[in-house]
Amino acid sequence: MDEDPRANGESNDHSNPSKKPKISSSLSLITQLQIQQEFAHHQDGVARINNGSFGSCPASILAAQRRWQLQFLRQPDSFFFNYLQKSILHSRTIIKNLINAHHVEEVSLVDNATTAAAIVLQHIGWGFAEGQFHKGDAVVMLHCAFQAVKKSIQAYVTRAGGSVIQVELPFPVRSKDQIIAEFQRALVIGKANGRKVRLAIIDHITSMPSLIIPVRELVCICREEGVDQVFVDAAHAVGSVHVDVQEIGADFYVSNLHKWFFCPPSVAFLYCRKSPLSLNLHHPVVSHEYGNGLAVESSWIGTRDYSSQLVVPEVLDFVNRFEGGIDGISKRNHDAVVDMGEMLAKAWGTVLGSPPDMCPSMAMVGLPASLGISSDDDALKIRTHLRDHFQVEVPIHHQAPKDSKVGARNGNNCITAYARISHQVYNKVDDYIKFREAINQLVHDGFTCKVLSQK
Amino acid sequence: MSHFTKQGLSPFKTKRGFLNLHYRFSFPCIFSPSKRGIDTHASHHLDRKPLISDAELRFEFAHHDPAVARVNNGSFGSCPASIIAAQQRWQLQVLRQPDDFYLNRLRPGILHTRTVIKGLINAGDVDEISIVDNATAAAAIVLQQAGWAFAEGRFNQGDAAVMLCHAYGAVKKSVEAYFSRAGGRVIEVQYPFPVSSKYEIISEFQKVLEKVRSDGHKVRLALIDHITSMPRVVIPIKELVEICRNEDVDQIFVDAAHAMGCTKVDMQEIGADYYTSNLHKCFFCPPSVSFLYCRKSETLPDLHHPMVSHGYGNGLPIESSWIGTRDYSAQLVVPEVVEFVSRFEGGIEGIRKRNHEKVVEMGQMLVKAWGTNLGSPPEMCSSMAMVGLPACLGISSDWDGLKLRTHLRECFGIEVHIYYREPEDGEVNPVTGYARISHQVYNTIDDYCKLRDAVNKLVNDGFTCALLSI
Repeated sequence: MDEDPRANGESNDHSNPSKKPKISSSLSLITQLQIQQEFAHHQDGVARINNGSFGSCPASILAAQRRWQLQFLRQPDSFFFNYLQKSILHSRTIIKNLINAHHVEEVSLVDNATTAAAIVLQHIGWGFAEGQFHKGDAVVMLHCAFQAVKKSIQAYVTRAGGSVIQVELPFPVRSKDQIIAEFQRALVIGKANGRKVRLAIIDHITSMPSLIIPVRELVCICREEGVDQVFVDAAHAVGSVHVDVQEIGADFYVSNLHKWFFCPPSVAFLYCRKSPLSLNLHHPVVSHEYGNGLAVESSWIGTRDYSSQLVVPEVLDFVNRFEGGIDGISKRNHDAVVDMGEMLAKAWGTVLGSPPDMCPSMAMVGLPASLGISSDDDALKIRTHLRDHFQVEVPIHHQAPKDSKVGARNGNNCITAYARISHQVYNKVDDYIKFREAINQLVHDGFTCKVLSQK
Repeated sequence: MSHFTKQGLSPFKTKRGFLNLHYRFSFPCIFSPSKRGIDTHASHHLDRKPLISDAELRFEFAHHDPAVARVNNGSFGSCPASIIAAQQRWQLQVLRQPDDFYLNRLRPGILHTRTVIKGLINAGDVDEISIVDNATAAAAIVLQQAGWAFAEGRFNQGDAAVMLCHAYGAVKKSVEAYFSRAGGRVIEVQYPFPVSSKYEIISEFQKVLEKVRSDGHKVRLALIDHITSMPRVVIPIKELVEICRNEDVDQIFVDAAHAMGCTKVDMQEIGADYYTSNLHKCFFCPPSVSFLYCRKSETLPDLHHPMVSHGYGNGLPIESSWIGTRDYSAQLVVPEVVEFVSRFEGGIEGIRKRNHEKVVEMGQMLVKAWGTNLGSPPEMCSSMAMVGLPACLGISSDWDGLKLRTHLRECFGIEVHIYYREPEDGEVNPVTGYARISHQVYNTIDDYCKLRDAVNKLVNDGFTCALLSI
């Protein structure tokens, strides 16, 4: 098998990765049939409307990944010495351009946002251990931050003596101004008694419930309120929303590329704004490159399969086969998911959990109150029930209403649960119709979650 | 162990030129964890497979570059085609319906792997086995815990870690990053290379621990290689662990990155607190998978995976089984690998024994041809041997060693790791370079003849490393 010439960075497409990626002419746009073929490995018969959890990867990218894997297996030493580092650098350079970072050293590739959180939080943990931070200094996070990030804060910050300020965000939400106001309020209260805030962790797009957070405004508030460093957990962002790290202005920014950017599991980037503080970040898995900067440390953490990090150039080619490239894809996904969300809400007599402009490529759609989803456990059970009995894959969020008089309504009752529907290029209207009908059936049958508990 | 029925073997090359194997297996119970009978010994199979033939063996490694004499299995390992195919099946399962996979199938699959490993290494309890990416990750886990011990006052500034002078470079960096940074002191045990017997290592180790004690320092952690990487030497691990116990060392961590598939691995016999070995080096797993054994004990602290996720606080095995969305497939094929090794006479023990005998034989053939020596006696070689290179090659630094390795790869089609040994004062015409040759099931005598002839040619041509440009 001959090596793929792209492995040497020698093809025309990648000879100058510092250029802004071109969008291809309409002659080579991907067709509907080709899209279907690219995702033909998805399980037949499943309405897969949960791209947000684990993402998706087209067949041509999987094939590219296999080529890289086989290249390594064929002659691993040569691969390690001659191809790996420069291919990782190529991927990092493409990402740098995609997110408008200024220096490629600011871009490190890691497995996922969970890893990135560990890197940033371990650095905070050392701050406490080495006396730069004092017991009681605080870390701010959103109350709906991803559970793994909360655990990471516990493991590195709380354990080291730091305190945690949680900002409760309203949901359902009417506008981003509610979020901005709530964040400002909570930060000011949290800082009372002179507590120093060492780090703010802000989601760009929260996971559950899923909302676009006005992250630029919140970063400004952090700066005004004297927060040392700001870390944006944007696990869902690249491929869903426009990402410009200069505009956002955070110190650290992570996004997965396997969720909405068609990479295979798994690859993410951690952007660290060049500053004296960023020099102290280290990958927790320490290897030969320790001390050479996070990007270089991350590029070798022992023998493992780095192939998902190497296909970023191929993914860029893939998205450029769509009208408007990745921006076109994310806009159409957004429009379609809002459309479908509104269709479902109308069918069920419920509402969306946020206005359309706060939906990325996902939407929170209220479920009929009669389903009786009254706990996180109920939400998980009904999700399993939908998978097993209706072949619908969709995560369900339980939202305890704060005040039954003002909560979102389904008829005379409060909405206590929302389905987080996603739209990605492989989805069809039929997927959402299938979901609509499944819920209608459950309502019609008088189904409630109590029935599942009895099983 | 799941029951495979091999219905057909139809390898083919796709248009893109990569090998794609189709093994049509039936999996009657692999996805029903409650029904799966966990059988760690493939010999209990109802349908015992015939031994692997030479042709099948060649086929399993046909994806290796045929132009290369690949005598460096020690760096990156190797993986047979049938295991690659098994891994691809797992990968496609995930991509097909990831939610179902991650929620219902991943954890049982990893538990199966952990159970298989528990049996292989004679651990007491499956809760002692965590699956991680590689020994580098395992070292970070053990050392991060030591860092916390300093921060939380359980270790005092100046408490010591002891390790061998030839400990792996990445592990030394990890010690620097977590132990030294937190205020610990690091003491290296020097011992000679070439080494003529295990007692040279044992006595040096004993001397160092005694000195540390008499200086009034506490040894919190001993990091001992089971088999050092460079230079490659099998360390008398049982004896060193015993010395540590006698000297009241708090925690004993054995870095056995190379051990599985190369030497006997028995947790009860070795008696360490923590033990890690890669399974992708000599145990035919794809890159990458390793286990970290943590002896169940009231006195040892809880370890945590540095990538903290939902399972934090539920024990290292659970934490390690989910560190965010990523490809866990390499961890899931361990049962298939056990199946694979059972197709060899004597299973993994047979493979080990034959690899050892062959590499010693080839090493002795080379030292005879070059007029040099082995770096250690045969009983301290496992599946690899350190073979002295002719002094006239003029290897006078690590950098020379790397340049020569590159030269052998690019000009002779030979992949072999070269070690630079600093000569002692007064040595006349010292052997300063050693080739670390390995033997794995895919090697043939031609690989070593190729190496022999390449070095002979270099000598005849008056080659020295000084001639190689930077």
